[in-house]
Amino acid sequence: MVDAAFLALSVITIGSAIAALELRSLIYGSIALMGTLGGVAGFFLLLDSPFVALFQIAVYVGSIAVLILFTVMLVKRELIFKKIEDPKRKWAGIGLMLIFMVAIGAIILDSGLKSVTTDEPPVDFREIGDDFLTYYWPALILMALILAGSVTGALVLARREDEISG
Amino acid sequence: MSVIAPKFRFSEFLKSLTDNIFWIIVILTLIGLPIIMIALFFIPMPVYEGELINPFLAFTWMFHPELALPLVKALLVTDMFRIIVFPGFGFAALLAASVIFIERKMLAKLQLRVGPFYCGKVEGILQLMGDGLKLMTKEIIIPAKADKPIFILSPLLFLGAAAAFVALIPVAPGWVVADIDLGLIAVFAVIGFFPIITVLAAWSANSKYPFIGGIRALFQMVSFEIPLILSLLGVVILTGTLNLSEIVQSQASFPWILFLPIGAIVFFIAMLAELERIPFDLPEAESEIVAGWLTEFSGMMYGLVQLGSYVKLYAFAALFVVVFLGGWTGPMIFPPLEEELILEGKTIGPITIQTPGLPIFSMEFFSGVIWFILKTAVVIFFILLPRGVFPRVRIDLLLDLGWFKLIGLTFVNIFIALALLYAGVFGPGGML
Repeated sequence: MVDAAFLALSVITIGSAIAALELRSLIYGSIALMGTLGGVAGFFLLLDSPFVALFQIAVYVGSIAVLILFTVMLVKRELIFKKIEDPKRKWAGIGLMLIFMVAIGAIILDSGLKSVTTDEPPVDFREIGDDFLTYYWPALILMALILAGSVTGALVLARREDEISG
Repeated sequence: MSVIAPKFRFSEFLKSLTDNIFWIIVILTLIGLPIIMIALFFIPMPVYEGELINPFLAFTWMFHPELALPLVKALLVTDMFRIIVFPGFGFAALLAASVIFIERKMLAKLQLRVGPFYCGKVEGILQLMGDGLKLMTKEIIIPAKADKPIFILSPLLFLGAAAAFVALIPVAPGWVVADIDLGLIAVFAVIGFFPIITVLAAWSANSKYPFIGGIRALFQMVSFEIPLILSLLGVVILTGTLNLSEIVQSQASFPWILFLPIGAIVFFIAMLAELERIPFDLPEAESEIVAGWLTEFSGMMYGLVQLGSYVKLYAFAALFVVVFLGGWTGPMIFPPLEEELILEGKTIGPITIQTPGLPIFSMEFFSGVIWFILKTAVVIFFILLPRGVFPRVRIDLLLDLGWFKLIGLTFVNIFIALALLYAGVFGPGGML
């Protein structure tokens, strides 16, 4: 049986993804993109990983979608956005997507994976932390370096240049 | 002699009164009672003395009003009650509404003015009700070139996001709408929605001043989210949990503000910026850009945004209390209820009133809620205080403060927390 929540999330995610591509208004398009990212967060919740789901909302919906929205608002649409109405391209795109979907569907059907049922509780974030400190420590150190670099860069960019002269 | 109603006839007055009573009875019996009876079938009723309390015992309740106590008790533990009334939206909205009045009165006293005075006999105490009625009856004007769906939805979304924030705050032991393991991360996720709603509301009005205000709000909220999140990490490092109820329980003997004062100060400043309060009220700077991103809102739409922003204020103050001031922990205020009253009831002369299921709340609950509200009131007072004293900062100074100084201070705070942990003061096997 198909889960109702899964079905609803799929409809929201795919529908808003199509809307994000197809809507003429850029603002509505970016709102639809937020819907897509929120739907992905819902999938993470269904997959018993609330930690990733909440970070998906906090980072993708809360920050990256805001960045896109802000950029779209500051840009004059007419100057950069030339509509290319070419039905051939559209149909070619839809055909390509269908081929891709059928291929992925064939792989999934062929794998014999019908349903996965586990009784395991949601992943505890402490386990994620333990894994990061033991097995995945190089990845952690790499992330720490990148984050430290970006924070330092932000601090340098935010420093006022005119402090001495003014 | 002045006449209130010149064509007053007492008989007509009586007739109108009886007419009204007649129609009320007719409507209640024909529509009200069936609706109540239908609704009661969908509400799970409690079992009292081995018997399910059902709607057909309504006449029994009439003669034994104390039988309603188990019913009330059953109502109090439902999710609906939690969401709508007590730790959820109703409680927060009530506190937020009182904050609006107290803010006006307090600022007036600070600046040697009178403040609201005429509405209501005592110190203008009905001013808020008057304002609310005015907002409700005002016409809602939508600008001609506004983007209508977003413009209409954004106040509702703002209030909704604020209510979602409130739902994560634990008020008393076990009294929280959504007690999730990752409460603090959920708080950050909810806070992330405010800039989106603000900038969408500002853009959809299709007007100059709201757009400038919205861009300012976006800059301010996004850049102050980083110190806000980093300043709470010290507490997370020391407690090892993200659940807000567990964070409160970890402060049973001392609040974290004693050990992490820098984090508390940074969180407070970032909180002021997130709430758009003076000295960081650039998005609503009324002397520069009319009313910022609120300019085009009118009537109840403005009322909803206002209510939402004060509910958000309460939620941030409550988060400060939960994380740094120890939430509901505090000495007990009331003695526990007498055993006799619970078991045998109270005897007044010839009448004995039995009270089944009387300890509706434990006394820990009462004392916890009172401590929580007291601490929240103190934090709200300190949030309101700068408005009476400080001017507004320039936007480059604001961003400089957020990105340069506060982030640096949060790292100092995190290192203090780590030092406390590694010195063996806290954590597993620690001294305290």
